[in-house]
Amino acid sequence: MCKQDQMDKKLVSKTVPPGGDPDRTNGITRRIFLRRSLAAGAVAGAAASGLFPFIQTIDVAYGAEPFRFAWISDTHLYPRTLNTRFVEKAERAVNDVKAMKPAPDFMIFGGDLAQLGDPVELQLGADILKGIRVKKYYIPGEHDWYLDMGAAWEKLFGKPNWTFDHKGVRFIGLDTISRGPDYWSVKKMSPQERMGHMATLDGSVAGPWAGVGKDQLDWLGRTLSDWPKDKPVILFSHNPLYEYYPPWNFWIRDWQEVQEALKPYSNVTNIHGHTHQVLYNEIGRMRSIGMLATSWTWPYAPTGVPKLTTPLVRVDPGDHFDGVGWGNLAVTAAGKVNYEYMMWRKDVFATTKVDSGTGDNDNQILHPRIADLP
Amino acid sequence: MKKKTLLSLAAPAASLGLIAFIVFGATPGMAHKAKHTPEQLKAFEEVFMEQVKIGDLLFHGDAATEKKMGTKLSRTGMACAMCHPFASDNHPYEFPKFQEQINKFSTLRDMINWCIEKPNEGEKLDPDSDAMKALEAYIYWANRGSKLDPGRH
Repeated sequence: MCKQDQMDKKLVSKTVPPGGDPDRTNGITRRIFLRRSLAAGAVAGAAASGLFPFIQTIDVAYGAEPFRFAWISDTHLYPRTLNTRFVEKAERAVNDVKAMKPAPDFMIFGGDLAQLGDPVELQLGADILKGIRVKKYYIPGEHDWYLDMGAAWEKLFGKPNWTFDHKGVRFIGLDTISRGPDYWSVKKMSPQERMGHMATLDGSVAGPWAGVGKDQLDWLGRTLSDWPKDKPVILFSHNPLYEYYPPWNFWIRDWQEVQEALKPYSNVTNIHGHTHQVLYNEIGRMRSIGMLATSWTWPYAPTGVPKLTTPLVRVDPGDHFDGVGWGNLAVTAAGKVNYEYMMWRKDVFATTKVDSGTGDNDNQILHPRIADLP
Repeated sequence: MKKKTLLSLAAPAASLGLIAFIVFGATPGMAHKAKHTPEQLKAFEEVFMEQVKIGDLLFHGDAATEKKMGTKLSRTGMACAMCHPFASDNHPYEFPKFQEQINKFSTLRDMINWCIEKPNEGEKLDPDSDAMKALEAYIYWANRGSKLDPGRH
C-alpha cells in the first residue's frame, strides 16, 4: 500500500464514524472495490485500452426507440453582480442544448445550480434554464440546499427524487445530498455558516453528508419492483453511487446498500455530477458516467480514480471555458447509450502522461486541511 | 465558520523572539549553538503551524483572515481551494520551472500571484508579504512528503 493510500485510509476512518448507523459505515476498502469493479468490467475493454472515442458507447439492451437527452449540471451560480463567468458558461450550455438538432426529448439538471443556496442564485439559474423549451428534470446538489434546507429549491423545482418511464427506459432521479449529518445545531451555526461548510469540498466539518438514506432506498426498491430485471434503468444522481474519494464526498456513504438494491437489474446506468471531471466506472453490472461541470474542473482525487477512467486532459486555468461543458446523451434503437462530453475544446481525453489530469501527479502526496478542525 | 484565534501580525515576530531566548538563553555571547531542546522544537513548529493555518484560511477564502491580512485574493467568489482541494494540482515541488501561463522561468510565488490576478481577478501580493509566506507555508505543508522534482512541467 503506498503512502497516499495509507493516509487516505486513515482519513476515511476519521470521515466515516464507525458502527451505529448502517448508512454511515464503510467496511470495504477502495482497493477491494477496485478489484471487484475490474473483475466485473469485462465489457469495458475499450475503456481499459486507453483509447476512448470522443463518443463513448455502452450497451443498454431493449432501448425500444431511439432518443436523445441533454445533461447540464454544476453551474454553481453566484449572483450575476459577483461573477459573470459562471453565468456566461451556463448560458453557453443552454444555447448549445437549444441548438441541438433534433431537439432532445428532455434535459436533466444534475445539481449545484447555485453556489451558496441563495434564492437569488437559484432564481438566476431557473431563469437561464427557461431558454430550454423541452421538458426539464432537476435533482439537487449540496450547494443548492444547506442555506434553507431545500426550501427555495423545492419551491422552484419540486420533489428532489422522482421517476418516469420514457421509450422503454425507466429513469430515476435520486436525492443524494439532503440527508447529511446535523453538524450545525450543537455549534449554533447560522444558515450561512452551515452553507459555507457544505460548500467547502475539502472541509471536514460537514462530514460524510452524501447518501441516499434508508427511506429513499425503500422508495428505490418500490420504484424498481414492477420493472423487468433485464430492461434498462438510468439513474441520475448528484454524487457518484460508489466509493471514489470520501474525504471530498466523491461517493455516497451507503453505496453498498444501493448496489445491493440494484443487483437484480442487468442494465443499469448511473449518470452523475459533483466531481466536475471525466469519469467512468463499473460496479457489478452498473455503469457509472461522471459528467462535466459548466463552472470549473475539480482535480482528480489523490487516490481512488477508477481504473476504467481515461482521464481528462490537463486544462488551461487561464481559459475559463476550458475543461467545462455539458453532456449529450442518446439511447439508440440498437440498444446503446452514447454519451458525449460537450467540452468547449477539441481534445477531451489525455493521450500522454504529461497532459493527463492523473498521470501528471505521480510525485504528489496530499494532506487534509487543518484550519477548520475544532 | 468557526476559527481558531489568529495571532496578530506581530505574533510571529514575538514567537521568534521567544525562540531566540530559548536558543541563546541569557548568555548571548555563547560561542556555540546549544543542542536543541524539546521546548525549542515545539516553538519552531508552532511558528510554522500558525502560518500554515493562516495560509489555509486565506487559501479557502476566509473573509475575516483576508480582512486581517489586508488582502483581496479574489473578486469572482472563487477561492484557491475551489480548484485546488487539499492544495492538489499546486505542484509546489516542481518549482522553480518554466511556467507556460506566465511564459517565463517562475517561482511558486510567481504562480500564486498569477492565479490571484488572472482566474481570481484579485490583487497580487508583494512576494515577500506575510500573506504570501502564509500561502506558501500552507501549500508546502499540504504537499509534504511529495517528491521534489524542480523544473518538471
